[in-house]
Amino acid sequence: MTSSVLRSDRFRRWLNQRMPPANAITLDQRKIFILPTRQGLYFALLVVFMVMAGINYQNSLVFGLAFLLASMFMVSILHTFRNLSGLTIQAGGSKPAFAGEDAEFTVILTRHGARTYEALQLGWNPELLADADLIENTDARLRLFVQSQKRGLLNPGRMLVQTYYPVGLFRAWSWVDLDVSTVIYPSPVPAGPIPSVPSTSNEGDMMVRDGVEDFSGFREYQPGDPLRHVAWKSYARSDELLTKEYSAFADRRVWLEWEHFQGMDREARLSRLCYWVVQLARGSDTYGLRLPGVEIEPDNGLEHRERVLKTLALFEQPTMSHAE
Amino acid sequence: MNIYQIPRNSLAWMLVAQALVILPHVERLPVWTSLLCLLCGIWRVMVFTGRWSFPGKWTKVAFVIAGIAALIVGYRSAMSLDPWVGLLITMFALKLLEMHDRRDAYVVVVLAYFVTLTQFLYDQTIPSTLYVYFTVILITASLIGLNQTRTHSRPWYTFRRASVILAQSLPLMVILFVLFPRISPLWSVPLHQDQGVTGVTDVMRPGDIALLGQSDELAFRATFEGDVPPISLLYWRGLVLGRFDAEDESWVHLQRSFFGGVYRKGNDAPAWTEQFEYIGAPTRYSVLMEPTNQNWVFSLSLPEPANDEGMALLRDYRFYALADIRSKKRYELTSYLNYRVEPTLSNMDRYWYSLVPDDVNPRTHELAASLMQDAGGDAQAFVSRALGLFNEQAFIYTLKPPVLGNNGVDEFLFETRRGFCEHYAGAFVFLARAAGIPARVVVGYQGGEYNDVGNYVEVRQFDAHAWTEVWFEGEGWRRIDPTTAVAPDRIESGLEVALDEEFLSDVTLSWMKFRHTLILSEIRLQLSAMVMYWDTFVIGYTPEMQMSVLSRYLGDIDKKEIGMLMLALFFSVLAVIGLVMLLKRSTRGLTPVEKEYLRFCDMLARQGMPREMGEAPLDYAARVGQARSDLKDAADKVTQRFIAANYIDDAPEDDTELRRAIRTFRLKTLGANV
Repeated sequence: MTSSVLRSDRFRRWLNQRMPPANAITLDQRKIFILPTRQGLYFALLVVFMVMAGINYQNSLVFGLAFLLASMFMVSILHTFRNLSGLTIQAGGSKPAFAGEDAEFTVILTRHGARTYEALQLGWNPELLADADLIENTDARLRLFVQSQKRGLLNPGRMLVQTYYPVGLFRAWSWVDLDVSTVIYPSPVPAGPIPSVPSTSNEGDMMVRDGVEDFSGFREYQPGDPLRHVAWKSYARSDELLTKEYSAFADRRVWLEWEHFQGMDREARLSRLCYWVVQLARGSDTYGLRLPGVEIEPDNGLEHRERVLKTLALFEQPTMSHAE
Repeated sequence: MNIYQIPRNSLAWMLVAQALVILPHVERLPVWTSLLCLLCGIWRVMVFTGRWSFPGKWTKVAFVIAGIAALIVGYRSAMSLDPWVGLLITMFALKLLEMHDRRDAYVVVVLAYFVTLTQFLYDQTIPSTLYVYFTVILITASLIGLNQTRTHSRPWYTFRRASVILAQSLPLMVILFVLFPRISPLWSVPLHQDQGVTGVTDVMRPGDIALLGQSDELAFRATFEGDVPPISLLYWRGLVLGRFDAEDESWVHLQRSFFGGVYRKGNDAPAWTEQFEYIGAPTRYSVLMEPTNQNWVFSLSLPEPANDEGMALLRDYRFYALADIRSKKRYELTSYLNYRVEPTLSNMDRYWYSLVPDDVNPRTHELAASLMQDAGGDAQAFVSRALGLFNEQAFIYTLKPPVLGNNGVDEFLFETRRGFCEHYAGAFVFLARAAGIPARVVVGYQGGEYNDVGNYVEVRQFDAHAWTEVWFEGEGWRRIDPTTAVAPDRIESGLEVALDEEFLSDVTLSWMKFRHTLILSEIRLQLSAMVMYWDTFVIGYTPEMQMSVLSRYLGDIDKKEIGMLMLALFFSVLAVIGLVMLLKRSTRGLTPVEKEYLRFCDMLARQGMPREMGEAPLDYAARVGQARSDLKDAADKVTQRFIAANYIDDAPEDDTELRRAIRTFRLKTLGANV
């Protein structure tokens, strides 16, 4: 996915030494590379033609214009370099995703002082770079996406930051490693009805929706939820619309067990367990997880969901996966 | 992926630039090519505004065929520059209809730079140069637009960026221009096809020079080393016409002037140079000549052979350029205004220079015989009697002489008696030859206008003149100007005084008409001097000029050293530009209120109290108040207004109160300094 130059181990080691991963990186001459683009080379060829025309026609003004364009070619190196130099790039959080989906990383660009930046392009996928300008605004938040392959911890690796501005004759770029990672859950695979395991609770299956008794947790907002139950404070913090849930009693208690899927391999089991977690998290049942060597007591709510999914994501997965 | 769209910002500038780049070529392009370009432009604008769609494949093929047909019909021959420029422009216009992605747009930009460059092959004046540089800004703006984010939609911002980049490139360009080693052409190239010749021609019919007298076009400029000789002595010899063509009744040149070899730098001096005798001090001058598409070169008598290897001195001591003068030519000469030349004339020469047909102009032949009789056979006496004739009788000097028929000299001398310099010169030579005295017509320019701003003499077409040279035994050729006998003002004060009302009467608007309006005249001389410097040092910056300029300032220096110097200077200046660019403090991104406050801080800094890094406005004001009680109130006022405007919500963006407070403060500081 990232450019092929990064596949070379030597180059990667060299880069790691030159600009080690960090949460915030300010670009300077040590970190910026600059080379003419294909258009730049054609432009240089144009200038050569113009100089030859000047020689053949012995025309000073033709020389003059050729020299002006040659000078512009050189000056544009400074401008293109300036358009990256001094820019601070900072990691701004990430969102987990299910394997195969796009994981979202937020990147914050900040300029210092009066220098402006224009037409910056950045991202992990060179085919799909996000554009950013820092002209009036002093910072910009960009949401960048990285396609995940398999469950586990995803480290997207070095991000490309580049610019062709202003004249496109040169490309200045840098590979920055913001030292970010996110959890990739197993890809959910439909696993049939959720097994109704006898619950340990005596109160049976009675489910009280919109109960007013006890606050039991948050779940994703669904159209139709009463507005007074929306967790506005948390919305203000995180952009996520959540509904507070209240219940009189704990509802069903469900145990999601490794043993449900006899004869399947590890990943198939995890994917199906993941599917059930996603289903159950929509309702108000409490659910627990039993994997070989791991047991999570039944509970409900977003935090619980995340904890369970993360356990599934990282189960027997000691190494970190790199985006390739 | 067909989703790429050329940013509107870029496309808008591209269309404007393209129109302006093609515009000056329209006068030279075949009509159909111009119309095709216009159609392409309109079509692209319609696509741009979303009213039309791109043409289909067959429409495009039809356009290409039409474009090439227009060029073939319009030019017929491919041997000169024009059809190739036409082809370039056609491709440039057609590419517009095929411009879909970024790469196409780059092709158009590169073509635009090249097409605008070709303008210099036709017109190298200052206005034309400014125009071309303006189009270069526009083309660069469209190039920048291509690299901006799609949402960017402030065309003037893009234009400013282009101007800044080009302005920063200018000093670098000057370094390259001055120091880049100029070399001679690698191969020869055809330039413009069948251009008309300008200036004096090698056939002189009555009325020819009068026609030039109507034109205020520049012929050449001459810069003198030291004092400029009196204008009345500046007879710029161009052609010597030694043969009377009886059929045409015109004066043409005599092939004999090439006999005996030519004198070029590096060649042995031909035998006829022994008859040259230079007397007195030399006059050194350089001439910057406008293209004439002819071979003759103007000089003062009596010249030394030129340093220029392309110029040959002929035995009638005029110069001949070995190649037609198709672009501005600069040459340096040394002449001696006092001289004696060819005191002995061979019998053959004496025969040719006295030859006139016996059967035309019978009355002139009679007149010559009677004048010669009166003069007692003395050539000198004959000449003064003949000049006296022009002076005493009612001859009129006019730009609009009547047309003469057969026996034109008779008709002129005895009937019309109205003529311009060529009538008098032609009739005088005819008369002298009819009396057996060797004589010939000389055509060139007389006088010129002295420009004290640039210390040079400017010679225009209306200074074109014809005079004569008469050979006297033992004395050689001497200049006799019959016009002085008729209109002495012409030589003393120039054509304008001699003609009065008639001067440039056919030219509707000419600077020359206003040459005695004081302020306009001053402006005109200044402009003219500027053009002179432009022509000499910019357009005329040839390999030789480069060597002479560089060796004057840098001493003995070879091409390699010049190259090293160029690179060193180039990269030093580039580094300075880079440093300034990366370090400068800019006020962009600040609110108007903050900018005003910084202005206030700058004023205080000039008073010797700069604001410390990170010092809060109130602390700063307190410090200022302690140090300078006279400024305390005013500084406090500014600080309060600034705090009110900057830190209190709902304050207006642009604070007039603050500005007023700063103005009061400034007056205080000015008062304090007095």
